Amino acid sequence: MMFWVLAAILTVAATISLLVPLARSASRQDGTNEHDAEVYYDQLREIDRDIESGLIAQEEAEYARAEVGRRLLKASKTDSRQSRARSPLSTAARYVVIIFLPLMAVVGYLAVGKPGMPAQPLAGRIEAEPDDGNDITTLVAQAETHLASNPEDGRGWDVLAPIYLNLGRVADAETAYRNAIRLLGSTAPRQAGLGRALITQSGGIVTAEAQAAFQAAEELEPGNPLSSFFLALGLAQEGRFAEAKLAFERLAANSPPDAPWMPQVRAHLQGIDANLAVAGEAAPGPDEEDVAAAMEMSSEERSEMIGGMVAGLDARLRDNPDDLDGWLRLVRSYMVLGEPEKAGDALGRALENFEDGSAGRLALTRAAEQFGLIPQKVEQ
Amino acid sequence: MIVELGHYALVMALAVALLQSVLPVIGSVRQDAGLMAMAPAAAVTSFFLVLLAFAALTASYVTSDFSVQNVWENSHSLKPMIYKISGVWGNHEGSMLLWILILVFFSALVAFFGGNLPAALKANALAVQAWITSAFLLFVLLTSNPFQRLTPAPIEGRDLNPILQDVGLAIHPPLLYLGYVGFSICFSFAVAALIDGRIDAAWARWVRPWTLAAWTALTAGIAMGSYWAYYELGWGGWWFWDPVENASFMPWLAGTALLHSALVMEKREALKIWTVLLAIITFSLSLLGTFLVRSGVLTSVHAFATDPTRGVFILGILVIFIGGAFTLFALRAQSLKHGGLFAPVSREGALVLNNLFLTTATLTVLVGTLYPLVLEALTGSKISVGPPFFNLTFGPLMVPLLLAVPFGPLLAWKRGDLLAVCQRLYAAAGISLLVALAVVYFSTGAPVMAALGIAIGAWLICGSLTDLAYRAGAGRAGLPVMWQRLKGLPRSAFGTALAHFGLGVSVIGIVAVTAFSTEQVMTLKPGEQAVSGPFALEFEGLRPNTGPNYTELQGRFAVSRDGAQFATITAAKRVYTARRMPTTEAGILTIGPSQLYVALGDETPDGTVVRIWWKPWVTFIWFGTVFMSVGGIVSLLDRRLRVGAPAASKARAATAGQAT
Repeated sequence: MMFWVLAAILTVAATISLLVPLARSASRQDGTNEHDAEVYYDQLREIDRDIESGLIAQEEAEYARAEVGRRLLKASKTDSRQSRARSPLSTAARYVVIIFLPLMAVVGYLAVGKPGMPAQPLAGRIEAEPDDGNDITTLVAQAETHLASNPEDGRGWDVLAPIYLNLGRVADAETAYRNAIRLLGSTAPRQAGLGRALITQSGGIVTAEAQAAFQAAEELEPGNPLSSFFLALGLAQEGRFAEAKLAFERLAANSPPDAPWMPQVRAHLQGIDANLAVAGEAAPGPDEEDVAAAMEMSSEERSEMIGGMVAGLDARLRDNPDDLDGWLRLVRSYMVLGEPEKAGDALGRALENFEDGSAGRLALTRAAEQFGLIPQKVEQ
Repeated sequence: MIVELGHYALVMALAVALLQSVLPVIGSVRQDAGLMAMAPAAAVTSFFLVLLAFAALTASYVTSDFSVQNVWENSHSLKPMIYKISGVWGNHEGSMLLWILILVFFSALVAFFGGNLPAALKANALAVQAWITSAFLLFVLLTSNPFQRLTPAPIEGRDLNPILQDVGLAIHPPLLYLGYVGFSICFSFAVAALIDGRIDAAWARWVRPWTLAAWTALTAGIAMGSYWAYYELGWGGWWFWDPVENASFMPWLAGTALLHSALVMEKREALKIWTVLLAIITFSLSLLGTFLVRSGVLTSVHAFATDPTRGVFILGILVIFIGGAFTLFALRAQSLKHGGLFAPVSREGALVLNNLFLTTATLTVLVGTLYPLVLEALTGSKISVGPPFFNLTFGPLMVPLLLAVPFGPLLAWKRGDLLAVCQRLYAAAGISLLVALAVVYFSTGAPVMAALGIAIGAWLICGSLTDLAYRAGAGRAGLPVMWQRLKGLPRSAFGTALAHFGLGVSVIGIVAVTAFSTEQVMTLKPGEQAVSGPFALEFEGLRPNTGPNYTELQGRFAVSRDGAQFATITAAKRVYTARRMPTTEAGILTIGPSQLYVALGDETPDGTVVRIWWKPWVTFIWFGTVFMSVGGIVSLLDRRLRVGAPAASKARAATAGQAT
C-alpha cells in the first residue's frame, strides 16, 4: 500500500513538472537570429581582446571584423521566425501528458514489476527469520554471520563443520574443522571429519594430509571404525595390499556383521585379493583410478585390463622415451602393484632419457625418493 | 519497496522520454513556445527518475538484497563496500542503467545550461536525446532489466567476476560512458540542425565544448582501461588491438577529428556540413562499440552474459539511429548553407589535414575490427587481425599526422605562411633531432625506428612549447612582457599546448616500451635470482595470505640495483572463494617513469614460473593521456566557450531571463 502511495506521489510530481512549462503563458520567444547575432557580437569582442593582448595583427583583425560583420548583417536581415505564444496545441499537449504519463507508467510497470514486493536486505533477513528452523541454509547463513564477527568461537565452527560436510560444501567444512581443532582441541570425530572433508575434496583419494587426520583420530580413539576404514583404504590406494588386507580384516573382526560399512569392507577385501593375485604375476600396474575401476570388474577382466594397460604404456615409452609423464606413471604403477624391483628397473630406463639437471630428471628423482626407491635427501 | 519504486521510476522515465521525443518536435514545427519549453522540463524530470532507479539498484547492492536477481548474480555479502557499489555497473544490466543515467544527465545539462540556445534548436536536440533515451530504456526494460526479482531470495550471492573487483571498475566505465554518451549531445545537435534545416552560429559554439567534454572523459576512460588491463590481466601489455579496445578507440579518433573540425566551424563558419557528418559518425561509432561489446559478437571481459535477443535489439537501435541520421543527412545536407573558404596553407587547412588523417585512421581501425567478424559471419572461417595489421596501417598513418601537429597551432587562420612557421619550429626540430641522436648514441644498436619515434614525441612536446613561446612573443619582447602576455593567453591556447604536449609524452612512452622493454620467463626457486634491465630480483618464496573474499599465494621478490636492495615486489595468485576463480595479481614496481612488472605462473617441481618485464618509460603512455585530459579541461574552462551565450550581454539579460 505504502508503495502505491509513494508511486502516486512520484507520478503526480513528474506530471506536474511536465505540465508547468505547457501551462505557463509563454513569454515572448527570442527569434533564432537574435541568438546568432549575439554570438557574432561576442566574436567581435573577442577580436578586440585578441588585438589588446597582441595575439593578432591589426590587419588580420580588420579582415576578421569584416567577416564577422558580414555574418552579423545577414543575421539581422533575415529574422523571419517568431514563436507563437500559448495555443490550442498546448492544451492538447496537456491532456496528452495527463493521460499518457500515469497510464503508461502504471501499465508498463504492472507488466514488468512485482508491485509491493518488499526489499530483502541480507542483514534484515538473517535477523528476521531466526525461528524458521526448516531452512538449513538460513541457519548456516546466520551462523556464518555470527562467525564472521566472532571468528574465534570454536563451538560455532564445531557445529557448522558437519553441516557443511553434509551440504557438500567440503572446502568450507575443511576450514570449519581446522578452526574447531585449533580452538577447541583435537578430538576423534573432528579429526575424522577433517579427513572426510579432505578425501571428498581430492575426489576419493586418501591424501597424506587426510591420512594424518585419520591417524590422529585413531590415536585419540583406537578402533573407531571410520578412521580404521579410511586408513585401510589409504593403504590399498598406495598399493600396500598386504597391509591393507590386514587392516580391513581387523576392522571386519571388530565390527558387528550387520554394521553399515561391512558391505564396503567386503568389497574392498575382494578387490585387494584380486590385486594380490595379479601382483603375483609378472604384470604391470595402473594408477589409483584404474584400480578403483578395476574393483567393479571380475578378476579375469581386471587382470586383463591391468596387464594391457601397463604393457601398452611400456611399449609406448620404448617408442617415445621422452614422455616424462608416461615414465612417472609407469614407475608409479609398479609401485602401486607392490613391485619395487620392476619400478626400479623402469626408473633406470627412464633416467637414461633425461640429462643431468634437466627438469625431467629432477621429477623422476623426486618420484623415486617419494616411493623410497632411492634414499630420501634430508630436508632442511 | 525501494527496489520496486526504482523499477517504477524507470518505467515512468520511459513514459517521460517518449513524451519528450514527440511533443517538442511538434512544438518546433508549429512554433509553439509551450511545447518547446516542455523539453528541458522533461529532460530534468527523466534525469531524476533514472537517478532514483539507479539509487534503488545501488541500495540493493549495498544491503546485499539477493531478492534482486542482478544483485544475486553479481554480488556477495562479504565483498568490500567499494566493490559492492562499483559492482552495480560491473555487469550488463547495471552498466546499461549507468549508460542511460549518463545519457539523461547530459540531457539535463543541456536543459540547464541551454538557456541561451535558440528555442527550436534546444527543443529538437532534447527530443533527439529523448529518442536515444527511449530506445535504450526499452532495451533495458525488455531485455536487460536489472530489477528482476527472485522468490525465495537466495541467501548468498554469486559474487562479482574477480577480474572486475578492482578500483579500475569504479573509474573506467563511468569515464568511458561519459565519453561515449557525451558524443550523443553532438549527435543530437547535428540531427536537430538537420531537422531544422539550418545551422545556427550558436550550434557551432555549442558543439565544441560538448565534444571537448566528451573527448576529455573518453581519453581518461580509455587510458584508465588500458592501465587496468595492463596491471590486472598480468600479460604486461597496455594495448592489444582487441576489438573491444578498438570499439572505444574509434569514437576517440573520430571525436578527435570532430574536436578539430568544430574549431574551424566555430572560428570560420567553414566545414559546417563536414562537422555535422562527423558528429553523426562519432556517436554512431559509440553505438557500434556498445553493440559489439554487448551483443555477444565478441567474447571478452566486457561481454558479460550474452543473449541473442539483446544483440538483435541493439542492432535494431544501431540501424535505426545510424541509418536514420545518415538518411536525414543525405536529404538535408544540400540545403545547409556552406561556410567560408580558405587557403590550403592556413590553420583551417592544417585542421582539414588532421581530419583527413584521423578519419582514415578511424576507417582503418573499423575495417580491422569488423572484417574478421563479417568474414566469420559469412564464411564461418575465423581469422585474426592482430597487431601486425594495425601496426602496418595505423602506424604509418600516424607518423605524418604527428609530424604535422606542431604546425597547426602556429599557422594563422585563413592565410598562413608555412615558411615562417617552419622558421619558428627550427628550435623544436633541432631539439628533437638532438634527442634522436642521443638515443641512437646511448643505445648503440637500438633500432633506428625507435630513435625516430622518440624524436617524433620530442617534436610534439617541443612544438607545443614553441607554440606557447611564440604566442607570448619570444624573441620579440622581454621576459616580463612575455610573462604578461603568457598570462593573458586564452585558456584554450594552453589546452591545445597541453594536449599536444601530452600526445608527445604518450608517443615517447609507446615507442620506448615497444623498442626497449625486455621480457623473461623463468622458473625460480626461493633464493634464486633473476636479472631484468639494470635490476636483480631475488625470489623470497611463496606465502599464503587471506583477503576478505579470496585467498592468495604471494610471491615476494627483493629488488636490488648494484647489489643494494631498495624495494620489494609482491605478486600473487588469487583464488576468489565464491566463484573458485583464480586470478593473477601482477607485482609492479615503479622506478622513475619505468616499471618492473612481475607475474606469477604455475608451480612446477623446479620452482615457480615467473614472468618478469622491464618496461622503460612505460608510465609516459598514461601520463601523456593525463596531460591530454587536463588540456581538455583547461580548454573547457576557457571564457570564450561560456560566452557563446547571448545571456552574457547586459542588454539582453532581461529578455533572456524571461525566456528561461
